[in-house]
Amino acid sequence: MAAKQKSVKTTRLIHLMLTIALVIGLTSYADAAGKVYKLGLSLAITGPTSDAGNPYAKGVEDYFRFVNDTKLLGEDKIECTIRDDQYQTDVTKRNFEDFLDQGIVFYLNYSTGSTLALKKDFDEVEMPVLPASFHAGNIEGSKYIFLPIASYSEQTILLAEYIVKNSNGAKPKVAMFIHPSAFGRGPVSDLEKAVAAGLNIEIVEVVEHGNDLDNTAMLQRLTSKGVQYVLCQTIQSPVATMLKDAARLGMTAKSFGEAGKITFLGAHYTGGNDLIDLAGNAAENFFWTTSYTVTSEPGPGTDAQLELAKRYGRDNKAANSHNYANGIMVAQVATEVIRRAKEKGLEINNKTLYDELNAMNGDKAYQPPTTVGAVTYSPTDRAGVDSLQIYSVQKGQFKKVGEPLTSEYMKKIK
Amino acid sequence: MAANRWLATGNFFTTYQEEQRTFITSLDRLIFSLFLIVLFIWPIFFSVSRTYMLVVDNILVAVIAVLGLNLVTGFAGLISIGHAAFMGVGAYTIASFSRILGDSHIIITHFWPLLIFIAGVAGAITGAIVGLPSLRLKHLYLAIATLSFQMIFEWAIKFLTFFNQGQTISVGRVVWFTGEVGRNDHYIFWYYVALVIIVLFGFVVSNLFKTRYGRALVAVRDNDRAADAMGMHPGFTKVYAFALSGFLAGVAGAVHAFLYKGAGIESFTLHHSITYLAMAIVGGLGTLNGSFWGPAAIEILNLQVEKFSEYAGNYLPSAMNLATALRPFTFGLVIVLFLMFEPRGIANWWRIAKSYTKTWPFRY
Repeated sequence: MAAKQKSVKTTRLIHLMLTIALVIGLTSYADAAGKVYKLGLSLAITGPTSDAGNPYAKGVEDYFRFVNDTKLLGEDKIECTIRDDQYQTDVTKRNFEDFLDQGIVFYLNYSTGSTLALKKDFDEVEMPVLPASFHAGNIEGSKYIFLPIASYSEQTILLAEYIVKNSNGAKPKVAMFIHPSAFGRGPVSDLEKAVAAGLNIEIVEVVEHGNDLDNTAMLQRLTSKGVQYVLCQTIQSPVATMLKDAARLGMTAKSFGEAGKITFLGAHYTGGNDLIDLAGNAAENFFWTTSYTVTSEPGPGTDAQLELAKRYGRDNKAANSHNYANGIMVAQVATEVIRRAKEKGLEINNKTLYDELNAMNGDKAYQPPTTVGAVTYSPTDRAGVDSLQIYSVQKGQFKKVGEPLTSEYMKKIK
Repeated sequence: MAANRWLATGNFFTTYQEEQRTFITSLDRLIFSLFLIVLFIWPIFFSVSRTYMLVVDNILVAVIAVLGLNLVTGFAGLISIGHAAFMGVGAYTIASFSRILGDSHIIITHFWPLLIFIAGVAGAITGAIVGLPSLRLKHLYLAIATLSFQMIFEWAIKFLTFFNQGQTISVGRVVWFTGEVGRNDHYIFWYYVALVIIVLFGFVVSNLFKTRYGRALVAVRDNDRAADAMGMHPGFTKVYAFALSGFLAGVAGAVHAFLYKGAGIESFTLHHSITYLAMAIVGGLGTLNGSFWGPAAIEILNLQVEKFSEYAGNYLPSAMNLATALRPFTFGLVIVLFLMFEPRGIANWWRIAKSYTKTWPFRY
């Protein structure tokens, strides 16, 4: 009997020791497994502008998967929840609240409307935000919103400067073709300010497009007013419609600034491969600016982009989209600030990441492979990549025009 | 009426007044009172995340709006597909005060109940004006007239600089007896505000149908010529149905503006008008309780479908966008199936449940 009791005691002791060992083992495994940093992205994967939002989401998703799979942050992982808000601000707000409940340390937003609507919330919770919208108004009166690249205003003014430089001293007549929203209207007043500051162009007309399927009357009107250049700040589909109409009417300039014809130019969301798909041959000689590298001009950045897309089974359309690069880039910036804060031994939270973003300048500027210039932020600089590359469509592909530029007049009107 | 006021097994009314009672039995009144108490006290006992509180608030705002839509479409039979625009009138009334006075002016922060009422009045006036074509138009033609108002509203807001061309106009935080309603209490606070409004207007609408004005709505819906022959004024009835509906929509819009701390056109588009109509149909057109069921069902379904497609996204091939397509497909499919098999809406389930329990413990 006594021997049996002793055996039971021994068994219990072994069980206890095993349990302790298991707990210690699990604890050490948890340490070895590293920390998880939560991020959130709310964007339009369906609904309006989803043609841009869809590849953008894939870029963000793939890059964070790459970070985790290749252990770019060591054992630590990034968990980015991506939600479709269907371009509805109310849903974006709900998603953002949900992300806050989950304990995010960094937030990626999408549309101009929702970024403007949630601006106060971002400030209240002190959350650093990278939106996909480059609207200059996003950063007015906000400490926590950082534009990934130069604003739409800067892009438009740079294109206008390019027009002036290639006009041999004459005062070119320019029309603007814009989206009927804050997104489209944003650069108009800034371009007018640049003109007032001495930019030698004449803004003949600002056209807010609707859902027109034919732009013949508008193009005829612009021609009758002597317009030589049309600056577009909208999305691809209305630009494609206009380009096709202009080509049909024989109005498109065969070379930049061809006399008696119209040269079309546009900011980030007007261009890319989708425009070529939509407009076909009519897209030839369309001039476009963005801060991203494009796969039709191969380089280390685009190679990495295509490699990433291949790794995660993306189709050619997504892999070659500049909005896929756009998504990769914001994920790269978020990863970089986490890496830097981690390197300094700081706790990863919204405040430290905000500080790291503000310190991203000078010799600490960040050069992602997907952009044509370095990302710089400071308490007074809220636009990431200041350099812009002009591309033009040549034989069905976007090709570089010169070297990356920065706007002179944007500095003057700031 | 049965002698026992607690258990009336069947309809045994001896006077018209008895039939018109809000609560047929004392048990009905007790259950309703308990339900109301639960609605008011549950946030004290259960901690809900801010996300879900926002979802609940959205449901309540939609309930106020659908209550109005049900009045004009369900009870008066006048199809309105511009209801989000009426809400927008309410929201932009608040935004206008904010634009003129500043978003944290004392009138906005302290006199917000008055502003909500003013927003309702603005909605009512707009409703009455938009309702004028109903004097000449019926059915789909009237629907097109309300659609026009939706288009005009969206165009006006997007193009007028006073309304910030559709960009969000900020509305400040309000003040209550305990001080400024901060971020932590924001959604709970607006839950109670919306709940009080719903209870208040729920009783108003319920009692409206015991008056000649309420009965006139139904009479005009069923046959406006017959109603005219009976001495009612179909034109006036239609216009005032639109005004009443506009008032409730205006109030809902104002609460929405305060809840979201701003008003932007993206919340008051045609898509939203169609959604409110879907809520009214799913809930049960022409029923009071359908106005509560519909918004709750659509919002919860939307949330669940969203979660489902997110979950499915982990297993479906990423290149094919199947998870993305799953959300609108599932949502649409559920609505279509529901309308096929229960066209009278969820309110009909409620009616069946009630009629079954009315004779309890007897089956017949």
